[in-house]
Amino acid sequence: MDEGARPIGLRRIIQMNDVWATYGSGHALRGVSASIESGSNYAIVGRSGSGKSTLLRLMNGMLAPERGAVRVGYDVPDARGRRFRRTLRTIGYIPQNLGLVKNTTVLRNVLLGALPRLGAVQSALGRFPEGEVAEAERVLASVGLGGMGHRKAHALSGGERRRVAIARALMQHPTILLADEIVSELDPGTAREIMGLVSEAQRRTGLTAVMVHHDVSLALEYASRVAVISEGKKVLEIGVDGDSITDFQTGSQSTREAVEAYSRDA
Amino acid sequence: MTPSGNLVAGIIVALVVAASVNLGANPGLFIGGLPNLWIVAEEMIQVDPGLVPDALLAMAETIQMAFVGTMVGVAIALPMSLLAARNIAPAYVHAPVRALLAAVRTFPSILWAILFVIMVGIGPFAGILAIIMYTVGFVAKLQYEVIEAIDPEPMDAVLAIGASRLQLVRHVVIPESASHLLGQLLYMLDYNIRQTSILGLVGAGGIGFYVITYLQFFEYGKAAVFMLVVLASVLAIDWASTRIRDRYIVRPYSGP
Ligand SMILES: Nc1ncnc2c1ncn2[C@@H]1O[C@H](COP(=O)(O)OP(=O)(O)OP(=O)(O)O)[C@@H](O)[C@H]1O
Ligand SMILES: [Mg+2]
Repeated sequence: MDEGARPIGLRRIIQMNDVWATYGSGHALRGVSASIESGSNYAIVGRSGSGKSTLLRLMNGMLAPERGAVRVGYDVPDARGRRFRRTLRTIGYIPQNLGLVKNTTVLRNVLLGALPRLGAVQSALGRFPEGEVAEAERVLASVGLGGMGHRKAHALSGGERRRVAIARALMQHPTILLADEIVSELDPGTAREIMGLVSEAQRRTGLTAVMVHHDVSLALEYASRVAVISEGKKVLEIGVDGDSITDFQTGSQSTREAVEAYSRDA
Repeated sequence: MTPSGNLVAGIIVALVVAASVNLGANPGLFIGGLPNLWIVAEEMIQVDPGLVPDALLAMAETIQMAFVGTMVGVAIALPMSLLAARNIAPAYVHAPVRALLAAVRTFPSILWAILFVIMVGIGPFAGILAIIMYTVGFVAKLQYEVIEAIDPEPMDAVLAIGASRLQLVRHVVIPESASHLLGQLLYMLDYNIRQTSILGLVGAGGIGFYVITYLQFFEYGKAAVFMLVVLASVLAIDWASTRIRDRYIVRPYSGP
C-alpha cells in the first residue's frame, strides 16, 4: 500500500486491545487484539459462530465491548453516541445479509449511503438533491449496474444485490469498509468480480477494507493480512505477500497450503 | 377421549346447563316463538319500493361517514404506530402509547358512539368520531406489529452509517411496511361501513337510524327496505375490495 493514500493520518486506523464481547450470556469474543493498517485489506476467517460478525460490529460501535478497548482513528466507536456520528458517516458497513431495503428501488438503496450528509428536513421528505442522484447513478455504473437503478431491490440476483450493497457503501465516500461475508455463496467467478470492485475502490480512494470471508482461499488472494478467529479468540494472524506467508505469533514463514490446512481445522 | 378429557367435557356441559337454567333460557320458548318470526317475515315481504331512493341516500351518508372516519383514523394511526413500535421508539415512548391504544381498543365502536352523541349531539358527526377512535386503536396495532416484524438488517445498515431516526423511518420503515397498508385500509373501510350501519341505533347518524326508528314503530316492511340496501351494499363493497386487493397488493418479499 503506498503511503500517500492514507485517508485518516493514522497508520494504524483500527486498533483493538484485549476485547471481550457478549450478547448477554456467554462470550462471543474472548480477548481479541488486532491492529489494522490504513489502506490495507484485512480479512477475518473462521468457523460459523466463532465471532467474526461480532468483531465487525465492534468496529463501528453497533456493539460495545464488554471489556477492552477499540479505537477507530482517534475515536472510540459508539454508533448511538453523537460524537462518533461524524466518523460513522465514512465507515461503510455491509451486514451479513446485506441489509438492502427490498421494497424500494436499487437507486434509492444506493442513495441511502448519502443520507448522513443530507439535511434532516430534505431527507425526511424523501427527496434527494440532483447531484446525489447523479452520483448514485455513476456509482451504480461503476459496479456494473448501469441502467438498473429503477429495478426493485427484491428482484435482483445474489450477485447484483451485493453490487448494490457495495454501491451504497461507496456512496458514503468511505475511509473504511466493513463487509461481512459479501462474497459467500457466489460462484467463484462472480465472487472474484465483486472482490475486484472492492480492490478497485481501494486503489482509487485508499480505503481500508475489513472483510469477513467464508472462503479462506479468497481471503488469501485479496487480503494483505488474514486473522483466523476460533471460539472468540484470534488464533492466528498472518501477513500475505505473494506466496510467502508470515505467522505473526511465531514469526515463522509458511506457505499458502499450510495456512489453508490450519484454518480448516480452526 | 382420556378420562380427564371426559371429566372436562362433563364439567363444561354441566356449566352450560346450569347457566342456562339460571338465565331462564328455555329452548321451548325458541320453538314456540318461531311463528312470530313468520309474522315478521310476512310483514317484511310487504316491501315499500318507494322508500328505495331514501334508503340509498341513507346508505350514501353511511358510506361517507365510514370513509371520512377511516381515512382520518388511519392518518392518526400511522404516526401512533411508529411511536408504539418497540424497534423504533424508546420504552418511555412506546409503553405509554401502547397502553393508550389498548385502552382505546377496549371500547367497541357503539360505546364510542354513545359517548360522542352525549358530547356533540345526535347526528353523523358523533358516528364519524366513533369510527375514528375505533380505527386508530385497531390500525395502529396492526401497523406496529407490521413494523416490529420488519427485517432488522436494513435498519441496522442505515443506523450503522450515522443516519438519523427520522431518516430511518422515511427510507427504511415506510417502504418496508407500506405494502401492508393498502390491504389494511381496504379491510378497515369495509369493516367500518358495516359498523357505521348500526351506529344509527344510538343516534350517531347513518342508515341504522332509519332502521331503528321503523322497528320501534313496528314498520317491518319499511325497515326491511333499508336492511336490504345495507346487505346489498356490503356485498358489493366486499366484492370490490377483494378485486382491488387481488390486483394491487403485492405479496411482500421475504428472505435475504
Ligand atoms: N444478536 C445476538 N444475540 C445473542 N447471541 C448472539 C447474537 N449475535 C451473535 N450471537 C452469538 O455470538 C457468537 C458469535 O456470533 P457471530 O455472529 O459473531 O459469529 P460469526 O463468526 O459471524 O458466525 P457466522 O459465520 O455464522 O456468521 C455466536 O455464538 C452467536 O450465537
Ligand atoms: Mg457472521
